[in-house]
Amino acid sequence: MDWTKYRSSAFDELIHANGEPRPAAGRLVEYLRALSDRDVAARQVAADAVARVAGITFTVYSDGRNVDRPLPFDLIPRVLARHEWERTAAGLKQRIRALNLFIADVYAEQRIVADGVFPRMLLENSVNFRPQCVGVKPPLGIWAHVCGSDLVRDADGILYALEDNLRIPSGVSYMLENRMVAKRVFPELFETCSILPVDEYPAQLYETLAAISPRSGDAPVIVLLTPGVFNSAYFEHAYLARAMGIELVEGSDLFVGADDCTYMRTIDGPQRVDVIYRRVDDLYLDPEVFRPDSVLGVPGLMRSWRTGKVALANAPGAGVADDKVVFAYVPKMIRYYLGEEPLLPNVPSYLCYDERERRYVLEHIDELVVKPANESGGYGMLIGPRSTKREREKFKRLVQADPRNYMAQPTLSLSTTPIVTARGPSPRHVDLRPFILSGHDVYVTTGGLTRVAMRRGSLVVNSSQGGGAKDTWVVDLEDAA
Amino acid sequence: MLSRVAENLYWFARYLRRAENTARLVGVGSQLQLDLPRSVCFVWRPLIDTVGAGAIFAERHPDAGERPSDVDVMRFLLLDDSNPSSLRRSIESAREILRSIRDSLPPQVWETVTDLHLYIEEDGDRHIVRRYRVDFLNRIVDGCLKVSGLLGANVARDIGFQFMQLGTAIEQADMTTRIIDAGASGLVAPRDEEDREAFRALQWMAVLSSLAAYQTYRRQVRQRLSAELALKFLLQSYDFPRSVHFCLVRTQRVLSAMPARPGVERRVNRLLGLVRNADPAALAAGNAAQFVDDIQLGLGALDTTIARGYFDA
Repeated sequence: MDWTKYRSSAFDELIHANGEPRPAAGRLVEYLRALSDRDVAARQVAADAVARVAGITFTVYSDGRNVDRPLPFDLIPRVLARHEWERTAAGLKQRIRALNLFIADVYAEQRIVADGVFPRMLLENSVNFRPQCVGVKPPLGIWAHVCGSDLVRDADGILYALEDNLRIPSGVSYMLENRMVAKRVFPELFETCSILPVDEYPAQLYETLAAISPRSGDAPVIVLLTPGVFNSAYFEHAYLARAMGIELVEGSDLFVGADDCTYMRTIDGPQRVDVIYRRVDDLYLDPEVFRPDSVLGVPGLMRSWRTGKVALANAPGAGVADDKVVFAYVPKMIRYYLGEEPLLPNVPSYLCYDERERRYVLEHIDELVVKPANESGGYGMLIGPRSTKREREKFKRLVQADPRNYMAQPTLSLSTTPIVTARGPSPRHVDLRPFILSGHDVYVTTGGLTRVAMRRGSLVVNSSQGGGAKDTWVVDLEDAA
Repeated sequence: MLSRVAENLYWFARYLRRAENTARLVGVGSQLQLDLPRSVCFVWRPLIDTVGAGAIFAERHPDAGERPSDVDVMRFLLLDDSNPSSLRRSIESAREILRSIRDSLPPQVWETVTDLHLYIEEDGDRHIVRRYRVDFLNRIVDGCLKVSGLLGANVARDIGFQFMQLGTAIEQADMTTRIIDAGASGLVAPRDEEDREAFRALQWMAVLSSLAAYQTYRRQVRQRLSAELALKFLLQSYDFPRSVHFCLVRTQRVLSAMPARPGVERRVNRLLGLVRNADPAALAAGNAAQFVDDIQLGLGALDTTIARGYFDA
């Protein structure tokens, strides 16, 4: 593989501006350099074959039928040095501790509002604030048991937090599967480099879920609630249920009894369920409380949860902190609840509800990324420098009509990492989604899921919009063989 | 085990077995057509009626009458979406059900069924013409048998496996009685009434072949084929795995190893009694239709009782 012409216009994760590999990627690049084009092509074919046999797909609904699409997988891993990752992981732990304290506070005394640190108005207008959750005290005081935070690296080489997904973050199965594929394709490198393992995640997730069981005992009944086979993340739901050895259930498999306990329907009759790892959105969880037309949920589930008969992960209402406007307050939350300085910087944000910041956004809209507060999957946003005049005018109107629902961030020069193309290695933009589990302790995945915008120059990494994935290596430089 | 998963395993096995039988039946009918002299023709209508799709066919082909064209019949039995028991619908149903239980089965099961599904979707239209039909149908039968083989060789004999066995046995009992019904009502129509007797043996040979039973019949019975002997074999054989008796005994055995449910055992025993006491000679003489109806009703009631006992709990 020829690296002599490889140059990126942004900060590159693997290769310095001078063309030399970064220290953590040294062995990898050296190894790849020794491969002929045919070797590289053969390994990509092997990787695709492994992925196909493992059934690594995401589901797209189009033309009235379901299509299982393979998630594009690129061969070249993204590499991080262990010392950098440990700093980042500490920052992520700090964030989630503050976020969990914030959610608990918001559904209880709302001290942070009373103390003037967080504006009441933002809470009142939050689409993810659930009045039905006020006064509930979930086990361990934890609301967001599973968090997927998106990190990006800017031109300055610093990793920033871009957003925290606290509702039903997905992607961790791809992280695990990508490692499985990479081990098959590069066994030699796993022998000689000290690449930290990622595969304890399912066991950690199981521990996290078991810790919130309302019944004491060694073997709580834990299930994963999926919206069903038509959901784009169904592969992941099935994967995690299998990896943890728990039942994969749909709403119709569960019911809430007159005793407020939740049961699943089995061939031996009803069986009580203690913990539900739910991958169904809040609004579809319980037709008695939320959307009455939902068939994905379980009537009475909120009653069962509120009375402490069943534990839900993540807790309903946790999404109140998963709001791109609330995001801007995370550094303040860290100082307020923990009395610490944030270890991981936020991407700077301009909040449109604030008159001064809104004026700035409207004047600089061609330089900024404008996002609605509550969309995910990269939908409904404007990338200023790549927009047309018409799009910019449309967003100005949207912002003025509903300022609370919009925020803006500078257009970062997202870092790149090489992918395999027919013309040799070529840079593509990436982000990084680590997963953070909160139970008795806080656990952070080693690295996370690296998502790649497969189209040259594109900044959108979402799988629903043509993104792919890579394996992510955290390499211990001191421990190299 | 979740009731939904148990029910899905049961129906997956049923649809798979239904698809295989449909492909076999059409294949044998097509072959028989080739063996008949010009003065005699093969009539498809009883086969269409037998899978319970007579009314839909009449609606789709109002002008077809008693002698629909070969192409119309093939398309209807194999590919027509409006026919709930068409081969295509059976494979599609099996695959849709499999989506939510594929993790409890070997991965090649999903791959094989998906492969069949895509083959029917992409090449079905071109391959049901007479020139390719045998290959087409063979590939379907092979695919179904491959899945049966994968299940038999690689799946733990847990409760989920029992539900698949149950589905397979009940579906086969159902298909065998339907095919008997079609055979008894006459699949060959000679222009000359006197020829009818001469072709009856040929017709029952086709019926046996469509159930992969002809060789075993020859080896075990060793008598000139007659309606009576064929019926006796297909209904009452103790060791041929597609005979109604065999399937019911299998059903009985599987159920007895499961947690008991009211009514289930009684229904199976009643059906077994019906089959054991059947008089093949009388059936051959013209009482088959009523008998087959009784069995079908019994199987339907058994299915309902199983659903109530295990799936709707």
